Amino acid sequence: MESNLLHYVWQDSGILIEASLVFYLAWTSQWKGQGAVDFYLSSLVVGQLTRACFLHEYGWTSLRYYYAYWSTDFLLVLSAFGVVCLFFRRACLHEEKMWRLIRIFLVLLLVLVAAISGVSLSLNRHDFFTYFVVVFNQKLYFACLVLNTLLYLMLHRMNSADDQLELLVCGVGIQFAGPAATLALVYLTYGGRFAKLLAYQTIPLCTFGMLLVWAYVIVYVPRTAGGLTRRDVLLPAVPAQESKL
Amino acid sequence: MITATFVLILSMALFFFYIQVTCQKILRRQFDREYFQSIVTANRLEFPSLRKSLEEFSVPVDYFRLRMMLKCDFLALTYLLKNSANVKQRYSNEERLLILYCRWQFLSLAARHLLKLGEEPATLRLASVLQYFANVVGQRVNAVQFGNWTATDYLFYL
Repeated sequence: MESNLLHYVWQDSGILIEASLVFYLAWTSQWKGQGAVDFYLSSLVVGQLTRACFLHEYGWTSLRYYYAYWSTDFLLVLSAFGVVCLFFRRACLHEEKMWRLIRIFLVLLLVLVAAISGVSLSLNRHDFFTYFVVVFNQKLYFACLVLNTLLYLMLHRMNSADDQLELLVCGVGIQFAGPAATLALVYLTYGGRFAKLLAYQTIPLCTFGMLLVWAYVIVYVPRTAGGLTRRDVLLPAVPAQESKL
Repeated sequence: MITATFVLILSMALFFFYIQVTCQKILRRQFDREYFQSIVTANRLEFPSLRKSLEEFSVPVDYFRLRMMLKCDFLALTYLLKNSANVKQRYSNEERLLILYCRWQFLSLAARHLLKLGEEPATLRLASVLQYFANVVGQRVNAVQFGNWTATDYLFYL
C-alpha cells in the first residue's frame, strides 16, 4: 500500500515537473532551440497522463491498464530513441559527413532491434504485446543507453563547447541507466519482491532526476552560440608591431 | 543470466558515472571572481591549503586529520549555505544534489583508505565541491549590502 502511494506521488510529481518545464519553455519562448527536449517532455506528459487516466479508471490489475502501459511504453521508448538521434544531430551540426554515417548506423540499429524482437514474435504469435512490444522496448531501451554513452564519449572526444548538450545527455543517461539496472536485477532475482519494490521506486525517481538536471540546464546553462562546435583554442594576441610585418 | 548480469553491472556503473559527471559539470560553473577567498579567511577553512599541499607538493596527510578537516569545512559551509544571506533559509535543488555528492565522496574517501588506494582523488573532488560552496556563499554575501561591513566582517559576527 505504502509502495503504491509512493509510486503515485512520484508519478504525479513527475507529471507536474514535466508540465511545468513544458510551460516554462513555452513562456520564455525557448521552444525553438530545444527541439529534442520539447519532443521528449511532450511525449512524457502524454504517456504519463494516459497511464494515470487508465490507472484511475480501471486499476492496477486490469488488462486495459496493462495494454495502455505497454503501448505508452512503446511510444516512450521510440521517443527516447528519437531524442538520442536529435542529440546526435545537434552534436554533428557542423559535421555533415559524420552525421550521414551516424544516421545510417542509427537506422540499421533500429531495424536490427525490430528484427530480433520479430523473431520472438514469430515463435509466439498468439501474444503480440508480451513477445514483441515488451522485448522490443527492453532491447531498444538498452540500445538507447549504449548510444547515449557513445554520444557522451563523442562529445568528449570532439571537445565540444556545447555545455548544455553535455548536461542534457547526462540527464538522459540517468534516466536510462537506473531503470536498466533495476530491471536487470528484477530478472536476476526471478521477480523477487525487494527487486520489484526497488524497480517501482527507482524508475520514477530516475525520471525525476533527469527532469531536475534538464530544469537546471534550461534555467541556468546558457546555450552556446551557433557555429561553435569545438572548444577553440585561443591564439595568443599578436603584438601590434609584429602584425604590421 | 550472463546477459542480465552484464546489463546490471554496466547500467549501474553508467548510472553512477552520469551522476558524477553531472555534479562535476555543475561544479565547473564560472564565477565572475573568486568569492571563496573571503569566506575561507573569515572561517579559517582548511581545504585550499590541503588542496595546495596535495597538488603542488604531494605531501602525504594523516587520513584521520584530513577527514576531520574536510568534515569541519563541509559542516561550516553547509551551515553558511543555509543561513548566510539566504532569505529562504533552505538549500536549492542544485545544492542538495552537491551535498549528496559530497557525502558520496566522503564514503569513497573512507573506502579508498580501507582498500589502500590513495585518498588524493576523493580529497581533490571534495575540495572542489567545498570551493564551489564557498563561492556561492561569497557571492550571496557580496550581493547584500551591510552598511560599511565587508563580507569577512559579516561572517565574523554571524
